[in-house]
Amino acid sequence: MKGFTRIVVLTLALCLAMGAAVQAATLKIGSQSPLTGSYAADGNDIANGTRAAIDAIQKEGGIPGFEKIELFAEDDACDPRQAVAAANKLLNEKVVGVVGSYCSSSTIPASEVLDEGKILMLTPASTSEKVTERGLPYMFRVCGRDDDQSVAAMKFMTDFLKAKTVFIVDDKTTYSQGLADNVEKLAKEKGIKVIEHDHVNQGDKDFSAVLTKVKNAKPDVFYMSLQNSSSGALMLIQAKRMGIDAAIIGQDAVYHPQLMEIAKDAAEGVYLTFGFIDEETPAYKKFLAAYEKYGKPGAYSAYAYDSAYSLLSAIKAAGSTDPDKIKAEIMKIDTLGASKHIKFMENGDSGSNYIIRVVKDGQFKNFWDPQTGKKY
Amino acid sequence: MAEGEGSPGHKAERMDYFLQQMINGLTLGGVYALVALGYTMVYGIIQLINFAHGEIFAAGGYMGVIFLSFLTANGFMEAHPGLGIGLSLILSMGYCAMLAMAVEKVAYKPLRQSSRLSVLLSALGMSIFLQNGLMLTQGVYDKAYPTEFTHGGFDLGAIRISYMQIGILAVTALLLVALNALVFRTRMGKAMRATAQDKVMSALVGISSNKVISLTFAIGACLAAAAGIMVGLYYGSVRYDMGFVPGIKAFAAAVLGGIGNITGAMIGGLVIGMVEIMAAAYLPMGGQYKDVFAFVILIGVLYFMPTGIMGENVDDTRV
Amino acid sequence: MTRGSRVWLLFAMAMAWLFLLLWPLLGIGPDGSLTFGEAFAVWWKIALAALACFVIHRLSRAGVFEPLTRPLFRLTQGVSRVYGASPKWMFLVPLLAFALTYPFFTDRYAQDVAVNVLVYVCLGLGLNVVVGLCGLLDLGYIAFYGVGAYTYALLSVHYGLSFWLCLPVCAALAAVAGCIIGYPTLRMRGDYLAIVTLGFGEIVRIVINNWMSLTNGPNGILGIAPPSIVVPAMKDGGLALETVVMRQLSAMYYIILALAVFTVVAVRRLNFSRIGRAWEAIREDETAAELMGVNTFRFKLLAYAMGAVFGGLAGAFFAARMKFVSPESFTFIESAMVLAMVVLGGLGSIPGVILGALALVALPEVFRQFELYRMLVFGGVMALMMLVRPAGLWPAARMGKRSDDEG
Repeated sequence: MKGFTRIVVLTLALCLAMGAAVQAATLKIGSQSPLTGSYAADGNDIANGTRAAIDAIQKEGGIPGFEKIELFAEDDACDPRQAVAAANKLLNEKVVGVVGSYCSSSTIPASEVLDEGKILMLTPASTSEKVTERGLPYMFRVCGRDDDQSVAAMKFMTDFLKAKTVFIVDDKTTYSQGLADNVEKLAKEKGIKVIEHDHVNQGDKDFSAVLTKVKNAKPDVFYMSLQNSSSGALMLIQAKRMGIDAAIIGQDAVYHPQLMEIAKDAAEGVYLTFGFIDEETPAYKKFLAAYEKYGKPGAYSAYAYDSAYSLLSAIKAAGSTDPDKIKAEIMKIDTLGASKHIKFMENGDSGSNYIIRVVKDGQFKNFWDPQTGKKY
Repeated sequence: MAEGEGSPGHKAERMDYFLQQMINGLTLGGVYALVALGYTMVYGIIQLINFAHGEIFAAGGYMGVIFLSFLTANGFMEAHPGLGIGLSLILSMGYCAMLAMAVEKVAYKPLRQSSRLSVLLSALGMSIFLQNGLMLTQGVYDKAYPTEFTHGGFDLGAIRISYMQIGILAVTALLLVALNALVFRTRMGKAMRATAQDKVMSALVGISSNKVISLTFAIGACLAAAAGIMVGLYYGSVRYDMGFVPGIKAFAAAVLGGIGNITGAMIGGLVIGMVEIMAAAYLPMGGQYKDVFAFVILIGVLYFMPTGIMGENVDDTRV
Repeated sequence: MTRGSRVWLLFAMAMAWLFLLLWPLLGIGPDGSLTFGEAFAVWWKIALAALACFVIHRLSRAGVFEPLTRPLFRLTQGVSRVYGASPKWMFLVPLLAFALTYPFFTDRYAQDVAVNVLVYVCLGLGLNVVVGLCGLLDLGYIAFYGVGAYTYALLSVHYGLSFWLCLPVCAALAAVAGCIIGYPTLRMRGDYLAIVTLGFGEIVRIVINNWMSLTNGPNGILGIAPPSIVVPAMKDGGLALETVVMRQLSAMYYIILALAVFTVVAVRRLNFSRIGRAWEAIREDETAAELMGVNTFRFKLLAYAMGAVFGGLAGAFFAARMKFVSPESFTFIESAMVLAMVVLGGLGSIPGVILGALALVALPEVFRQFELYRMLVFGGVMALMMLVRPAGLWPAARMGKRSDDEG
């Protein structure tokens, strides 16, 4: 009987060891974004962008030492409480890095949780300045920053539109209000008159009251700072209906095909600031091929792809899952990604590259480059 | 105004601004009135705040986009746009009536003898259930209405009136007239009024309270469905949670006008719509606190004048 | 048509009606197609489940399950008799031991879930005071949670006050908020009370969302200090007091456990006191209570205030734990969830509310794959509970007897 027991124990131990070995052969990374709720469109883009990057890396031979790469895609619905819960879950799964989140108000608390576990976090979409200004060592940002985005918008207003007056509306979220406040400040510096800076609520449907004010004020530019494309579309429809003929400038949050789906002809001629994505580069084409099975890429698919790809290639280069080693490799990255030139600064930012795009014939087209002052 | 000067200076401009906001307010008020009618009729008859009514409104909006998209894809809309909208309207009214009657039979009827708390909680549960049902079957994203002609309008001096606004006001007026005719000039309407006044006695004189209650739910749902479609056409999209806040505001309108009182609900809806738009137009922070006004009115009315503007109309024979 | 077959006909009609309602949502494609497959796929699953329930219901009515249910019933009777007869500490001591040693044998994720459960236990018990004990349907309860959370957030960020000092302040402010919100509702009917409290809850959330200078609006307040305790330590060769910041999850767990225990004890004492009896009288029949000399005005206000206190305490803890508050955490859906817990567990019942919190917070974690269906199930369960078991999973033990009770 003793021999039998020994065999059983050995077998069990072997199974456990194999199980652990199999576990060890799986690289776990996480993603955190709003998969449900008002921002589900962009949240799913982020999750899919991460998946596309994993597919791309695996096609290139994967990461040595790991048989497969597993993605844990968590939903935070742009709610800070759920963001903390999702971060805790990822912490528990002992993921090596997380791509996320979308809303700055989710990224910030989640990053504090992940920092406790020394898990790297790369955000593809949170543009609030606060994200990288807290001194967290493992926090990186692949998209641009709002202080740069507002500068680009302001340049467009002064240099191209030659605007004298502007009417600003925002929905009070960190992101939207941050941009709006920056634009207001810059406008005052450049001598553009800010007729009014009004606010609406997230989730509002009826903007007729504030738009009537805009119509009456007859500004040269109507700066529309909203956090998602569905609100943006609603506002555009009502603005057009009301006969507002000011130049309308939005920003990267409304960059989503949903804008044209809902607003249709009301979106024609609307400008927006968005990080320049050169769709002709081989990196972008590679991204497009990898993303094909997930549908049409949205605003943040490419950024999420770049975040995940940077993380995975850093892990590959470091040859380990030690966060400091991976961080060292990330800091060495200096390549042309699908969305932009990826090179991280000391505080985790990777620079901004905002251009002006316009909606023409139901499509987003590059319009004007603030760096060169030339049209495309 | 807090920052900058946005308020129009000259008197003519001020008048134009006021009139424009008036039209905006009337349009919104018409929508609220249609939804409020459903609340008020149901409350008048079984003393229940039908929380699920807001979701019926949302379902109406969804049915509209489903039918309109279908007809657009088949080319029907291009050929007969008016008929297309009319058909969608009728079909979605029918659907919502069926939905409301089903909810009543399943969640409210068995609890008629239970405490008010039970049926209220059941209504709340159904509201959450329906809203999430819509989300699961129709998706979390906004669903766009396929129509573009609703974006146009014409100018009357400096005021801009959009075609949809006229459409909403016209349809609302039509439905209200129809409802009035139904309730006050037909036998069925008489039966409804009798049941609302005294359920037990009506049953004793031979009016089937079950049938009347089902009919009440159905009519309320038809009105809400119409409101839902018009909101969808006007704003351009619908979302699964679009019923919650308008539902509460519509109930506030019903209470304001006097619960159970049909004319009261109409007036209450218009008032709430106007107050919301005017507050957003003239108060410095009005735009952001827009939603609060309906709630404040609700609380104020219930505290100072619980029977509402036109007086309430409930079965007060039941303790 | 016999009575029996008529029921089957009704069932068939109900299923047909369900299909008619389901199909347009799933079957009419925006590309102009009419498909029945998807709708049918969803429908037949529901129909099958409904059929199973229906068949079981008919069979149990016919008495087929008697040989099974009778011994089961006797077993549960026996268990409840034993439970009733044995002293409470026999069950409480092992439970407490389990709760106290919980962080030692569970991982971080399970501790996180436990902390969530305990927070909702506090909230549920607080709401229980208002809805279950006093019968006031409060749909805006989450406002007190928000008041507590933001109070601690502001005091911590602007004045650096410690968590422990802020707890009574949060409780007091929440109580004041409770009185303010409760006051206008005192003369209102049950249903109006519900919608007015809902309105108040929304007003509080909208104000928090818009009062940028005070609350930073939708961006929330960042950098809230976690609780810290002062411990004696050996330093520089002498005994000195050192402030230790409690950052670990297990520390959080113990704090909320203490708060939850406090809430349970407090609510229990309130329930079995004169106050509790006054509340029960008001809940059952307000007019009669008034006639019997119960000052309904004062007791209803007290119910709101006491309920709010527990919500405020939970809110302060929430802020300390997340180190971040934002208005998105205090929506109506949260109020509805807490209400669902109280209703599911049993109005007025303390173990019931704890059970409800476990069911509605811990169970969804187990079924994380079905995350999308979570709220759907919530809504359905709430309506279903009212239909089949309005007293809840663990109904409240009645004090004394009523004339319409058996035995």
